[in-house]
Amino acid sequence: MLGCLILLLPNIHAQSRPVTGTVTDEDGKPLAGATVQVNGTKTTVTTDDQGRFSIEAVKGQTLKISFVGDQPMEILVGNKTVYSVQLKAQAGNMNEVVITGYTAEKKKDLTGAVSVVKMSEIQNIPDGNPVKALQGRVPGMTVTSDGSLNGAVTVRMRGQTTLNISSDPLYIIDGIPTQRGLQEINQDDVESIQVLKDASAATIYGSRAAAGVVIVTTKSGKNGVKHIDFDASTSLQLYTTKIHVLNTEQHAKAYWQAVVNDDRFGPNVSNPYDPSVTNGIFTYDWNHDYTNPVLNKINIPEYIDAAHTMKASNTNWFNEVSHPSILQQYNLSLSNGTANGTSFLSVSYRDDQGIIKKTRSQKVTVRANLDYNFFNGRLKVGEDLTGSYFKDAQLPIGDIVSLSIIENPVIPVHTVDGGWGGPVAGMDDRHNPVRLIYDNDQNNNNFARVLSSTYAQLELLPGLRFKTAFDVDYAGDYYRSLLKPYQSGFLSSTITQVGTSFDYQGSLTWQNLLTYDVRFHQHSLNLLAGQEYIDNHNQNFNGSAQGLALADINYAYLSEGTSNILVNGGGEADALLSYFGKANYSYQDKYLLSATLRRDGSSKFGSNNRYAYFPAASLGWRISQEKFMLGTAKVLSDLKLRASWGQTGNQSIPAYATYSLYQSIYATDLTWGQSAGSAYDINGAGTGTLPSGFTSTQTGNPDLKWETTTQTNVGIDFGLFNNALTGAADAYVKKTTNILLNPPYLGVLGEGGNEWINGASLENKGIELSLSYTKSLSRDLTLTVSGNIAHNALKITYLPNDAIIGYPGNGTTYTIIGHSPNTYFGWVAQGIFKTEDEVNNSATQPGKGLGRIRYADLNNDGVVDNNDQEYIGKADPDFTYGLNTTIRFKDFDFAFFFQGVKGGLVSNGFKYLTDFTSQAPGSNWGSRVLSAWTPENPGSNIPALTMTNNNNEGRSSTYYLESGSYLKLRNVELGYNLKNALSRYKFYKARIYVQAANLLRFKSKSFTGPDPEIPGSAYPIPLIATLGVNLTF
Amino acid sequence: MKKLSIALLFLATACTKQLDKEPQGSVFTGSLQTPENTDAMVIAAYSALGNDHWSTPYTTMWAYGSVRGGDAYKGGAGTGDQPDVDAYEQFSSNRVDIGESDGTWYRLYIGVARCNTALQLIEAMDPSAYPQQTQRLAEVRFLRAHFYFILKVLFNHIPWIDETIPKPEYDTISNRSFSSDELWSKIADDFRFAADNLPVTQTQAGRVTKGAAQAYLAKTLLYQAYTQDDNNNVTGTNQTLLAQVNTLCDSVINSGQYSLFADFADNFLSQFDNGPESVFAIQFSKADQTPEGRVDAGAGLDYPMDAEYGCCGFHQPSYDLVNAFQTGSDGLPLLDTYNGSNVAGAGDFKTSTFDPRLDHTVAIPGHPYKYQHNLIFQSAYCRDPATYNGFMSLKEVVAYNDPTFVKYPPFMSSSKNWQVIRYADVLLMKAEALIEMGQQDLALPLINQVRTRAAASTALLTQPDGSATSNYGMTTYQPGVNCTWTQDYARKALRFERRLEFAMEGYHFFDLVRWGVAADVINTYFATEKGRTPHLGSAHFTKNRDEYLPIPQNQINYSKGLYKQNPGW
Repeated sequence: MLGCLILLLPNIHAQSRPVTGTVTDEDGKPLAGATVQVNGTKTTVTTDDQGRFSIEAVKGQTLKISFVGDQPMEILVGNKTVYSVQLKAQAGNMNEVVITGYTAEKKKDLTGAVSVVKMSEIQNIPDGNPVKALQGRVPGMTVTSDGSLNGAVTVRMRGQTTLNISSDPLYIIDGIPTQRGLQEINQDDVESIQVLKDASAATIYGSRAAAGVVIVTTKSGKNGVKHIDFDASTSLQLYTTKIHVLNTEQHAKAYWQAVVNDDRFGPNVSNPYDPSVTNGIFTYDWNHDYTNPVLNKINIPEYIDAAHTMKASNTNWFNEVSHPSILQQYNLSLSNGTANGTSFLSVSYRDDQGIIKKTRSQKVTVRANLDYNFFNGRLKVGEDLTGSYFKDAQLPIGDIVSLSIIENPVIPVHTVDGGWGGPVAGMDDRHNPVRLIYDNDQNNNNFARVLSSTYAQLELLPGLRFKTAFDVDYAGDYYRSLLKPYQSGFLSSTITQVGTSFDYQGSLTWQNLLTYDVRFHQHSLNLLAGQEYIDNHNQNFNGSAQGLALADINYAYLSEGTSNILVNGGGEADALLSYFGKANYSYQDKYLLSATLRRDGSSKFGSNNRYAYFPAASLGWRISQEKFMLGTAKVLSDLKLRASWGQTGNQSIPAYATYSLYQSIYATDLTWGQSAGSAYDINGAGTGTLPSGFTSTQTGNPDLKWETTTQTNVGIDFGLFNNALTGAADAYVKKTTNILLNPPYLGVLGEGGNEWINGASLENKGIELSLSYTKSLSRDLTLTVSGNIAHNALKITYLPNDAIIGYPGNGTTYTIIGHSPNTYFGWVAQGIFKTEDEVNNSATQPGKGLGRIRYADLNNDGVVDNNDQEYIGKADPDFTYGLNTTIRFKDFDFAFFFQGVKGGLVSNGFKYLTDFTSQAPGSNWGSRVLSAWTPENPGSNIPALTMTNNNNEGRSSTYYLESGSYLKLRNVELGYNLKNALSRYKFYKARIYVQAANLLRFKSKSFTGPDPEIPGSAYPIPLIATLGVNLTF
Repeated sequence: MKKLSIALLFLATACTKQLDKEPQGSVFTGSLQTPENTDAMVIAAYSALGNDHWSTPYTTMWAYGSVRGGDAYKGGAGTGDQPDVDAYEQFSSNRVDIGESDGTWYRLYIGVARCNTALQLIEAMDPSAYPQQTQRLAEVRFLRAHFYFILKVLFNHIPWIDETIPKPEYDTISNRSFSSDELWSKIADDFRFAADNLPVTQTQAGRVTKGAAQAYLAKTLLYQAYTQDDNNNVTGTNQTLLAQVNTLCDSVINSGQYSLFADFADNFLSQFDNGPESVFAIQFSKADQTPEGRVDAGAGLDYPMDAEYGCCGFHQPSYDLVNAFQTGSDGLPLLDTYNGSNVAGAGDFKTSTFDPRLDHTVAIPGHPYKYQHNLIFQSAYCRDPATYNGFMSLKEVVAYNDPTFVKYPPFMSSSKNWQVIRYADVLLMKAEALIEMGQQDLALPLINQVRTRAAASTALLTQPDGSATSNYGMTTYQPGVNCTWTQDYARKALRFERRLEFAMEGYHFFDLVRWGVAADVINTYFATEKGRTPHLGSAHFTKNRDEYLPIPQNQINYSKGLYKQNPGW
């Protein structure tokens, strides 16, 4: 037999021929360095920098193509001589490299709770902020934001870690710590995002890491790879969550109904008033029969004002302030790499017109990531630099969105001669939202940020490296605004004012790291020692001046102001000095051990409590590597148990909280708030510069110390069926103690009674599960389904007496201890009184009556009062989840992603307007008021309309609490790989896609507002439909 | 390696100092201990007098004194606009958790706290370096007593905190540590110290004087003189205190520093700020390098809705008040029958006769607004005339062309001073004390002095054609001619005179509570007024409860139950 084979060999050899091809990654980018092997032989080649290979093989042989981190692939050599192979990222790949605190580890060696974000899943989501795209992708991490352009994003890792201060995670962008979030990072520049959730992973970042760490690594060039990427997309954005508000006729009818109700069973029953008399605008043709009122006709006058400048209108204010809008994004990047160094350059532009008119945001980012190798790679010097510039329209958005609900529909947008419509007598003093848009159109904020890390890494001895990095992070705003005079109904201003403000926030970081990696026999040891100094400083100044000769932004500079010239400014600085060490040890890749210790010093604490130690330790056991598991290896490809414990800190209080301070506050704006100034016209001159004193601004607490979060985590990582199904499950207990609080205080203390204290304790407990399944159903069809679900329960376990009243409860019989801080306290609404009997046979309740809400007399003392409140629900959801499905079929790829929240109650802020005419009697109302209870409409559970809120129905009660559950189709995307279709052009990748964000929304029926994700008045979350292209040359 | 370690060590020591970050733009308590800074803290205490706001109007007191006293309706756009004030107006819907009550409490204690800080600094000064020590002590104790006075008439049982109590002990001071009467004595002690140590005149017009302190002490003692039981019932009058009131008023009157303006109007015109009738006034200013001017922001809602102003139509005189200005053929007010026919509702000010103070106090449709012949007031200038009738208030506002007028959209006000005590009040306080001491004959000339000035104050009350704005007709009380001057009659006349003289100035409710007649007067007012306006349908004054605002529930909670709620709440 052997002889035969030998004899046959030349024959085979004679039939062998060069087989060539290209290997690309999941995204179609060429893979340099992929291994191509003729199966069962030693014939092996690697791909070049353009992913090309050439290997001798014969028909019938199998080529095995592999690349670190990807699923190996086998192809049968047939008649073709050219093959193109696309490797897919290996699900749950255990060799994946994860950045965990100044160093990188392989995923198989991890002992902490770390989630790695698949960038391919979020690549084309046009959120403009990579963090927003993470919503629902990482178990235990919740991301909440409204639809505003560059608006605030709230990120919570495993619940709320603290109370008064920031629970935002720490971001590490290319090694630079920042808490600014990622809105200034070009999503296309991001190579990877890793989320460190437990203490063992995060402790190395010590201070500020208590709320988790998000590590972002941007792209760099790769040795031997040179390409150009171009991405472009255009989106259409639509407003899909408008509230149904009343039109003019409906509004007039609701008013009539409210007054008639007050006349027949409300407060005016003894002295009824005709709604025609009390309404300043409408008159009513009705039967004046209070037992059976019938409205025949509403008379709407031609003009609503005496001067006849405003015609009675039927304005749909939502439509007036919003428009379908266009969002465009472009990104160009170039990368190149040689053995001597790599470079990555990119520039991006994003232009979002916003679905509220004139809310345009433009954003430019540039990036240059460069490194150079010297002395055969022993010295590496590099620079990661990004700059961003935003130009954002500055409109009073909250006002505009809420005004588009409450502005009366009878008001015209414009007067007959083209001026602005506005409120007339009897209406609320609310601005015309369209005027707010156009009068602020010229006002833009200019923001720029430079984020730079310059580093040098020297290999001192084999395995011993020293790295030093100097990071600069400067962000600043320049804002020049013009306030124009206006006339809009009875609202008017003659003031022409310029405002100019400038601020910067600077942060300088110097890191020094010493690492030592050694392997001996089956022992592996990684040691890290480091030191870090961070200096944060910010300053701001602003000025304003009135009396400009021209209301023109090109004229509006401070020098042109002639009156009321004001200047203000301030500054703050703080610093952190830290030392840290970490040791990772593994034996036979089976037993993993890690220990960390960090010592942090913060300038925010007094010298007695400045430093704190944050230790952590973790263990891992890769059971699947054990001999006794060999039998199950076919099913159970990977199994690891993890356990960790560690402490992290928080010090995000104002810089000088240890000091009792007075400030020279000459005066403050008194339009909407009390003056807090200390100047006084002691000379009785009535004008001129006034003598002024000092104002107490805070009470210092010299004994403040670090807030500490202690977290214990146990987890399991597993892979089944050759890692086709992978997953991780974690359970944790996170306890925060010495929480830094700034509780409300007894009024007699006066101003400056606010004092930071260390006090409360919080506990978060939770479980997280993520699963991912990948299956090739045929050669052309691959399915990947990944999902995650997380549950977190939060409660306050301790509060000092002084702080209890700052939280829901009454401070004595109901205290928040044992409850979530997001608990609602109030009255229980038990429906509405529908008969006189019910009214008469109920507890004493000031303001009760037919059609009014009945509140429960919880203590059964016969009176409904302040003592009848209890905890009536909480906002924290029971669980949060996400489900992503990707299907690849030939050149098509299709993905959809659902994200949801289950459980938890939201306070529906719109209900004050949608269910009541009395809470804002001068406003417009929601259409639900038309189906409110009357004796003629006895089935309704919406309280009877009234103009007088005698029953105090705006009180905190179960009436406003509604289910916060929702499920949203966040993202759906269909892509087509054009590479084959365009094969005569030299694309390495060419893909077009259509994508839609927020296409479907499911909510509980019990939620009566538009979107439980943003239950109050906020910038609406739009539906975004995108057409885009990704090209690589 | 060694070199590196040394380098790291060096770095570490070098950086330790970097954790010392000095506060920027602030001063420490210790740095204030200089004569200049101590004087500056006195200014800060004065500043609190006028750090007023429409949401907590403790200067004009319109929401607390005028609206609750039946002089005025809340006004604005319906009952839901500033609903806290609506609850004050209705009484029946007032609650322990109303934000405005809590806000006003806090704002007034800011004033107290600024005074206590200043007092600590002043007391710690060496008199040789700070010769003004005693006078500054007197000024600041006056200011503290002023804030406590307002707290007292609003909330009755209040925690008394002075400069001797360290801040950490504030939460041990109950609002029942002192009885109501003891609290009055505490306030009186501060004013007495001020009266004993302040100069008769000050070169700086804004500083308080001996006369101001004597007058405010008289006012305090007058309130204290009407003794109240634990349920807010007035149980009698303290004759000793009344005698002191009389003496103190005499001191003010005899000081030669004060007199009535010839024209009643001058009290409410900015060009007469700090004039002879002004005993204690809060100074406001504009073009003073503040964002909007230090204006009388407590009056910021009180302007009409016409093109010259534009917001917000609050503080509207009631029909009851307007009717009160009617006079009989004898030239006297209709003490018992003024509200029998609603002349205000009829809008006829030409047939009957009226006290000229009507047109200084109330903006009436068809009458010039604030004496402006080119601005004839219309009911349409009210925010919501359908709910709140067609009158507006005049005393706290200025003409649109007045140099003190300031717009800070959507609100507006002026830098016209607000008089807390004017000389007419001194005269009437003395008259009240005398009447309650049975010396009503001595009170008669005082009341008539006020009436004589009022009757003569018609020069500005003209229509564009020069005719009188209303049909004026009033005289003095002339026993045997138009009245019989008994103690009861004199008491009735005095009380009516106070209402007319100080109408819409935020006094009336507190007068009613002092006299022990609030429940009767307010419920009588509601019974009639309900039929004239749609907004008082459920209004009701609960006797033995509504004389005072409830202690804000927040403060009871913050004190963890140390503060006790007022009776009835």
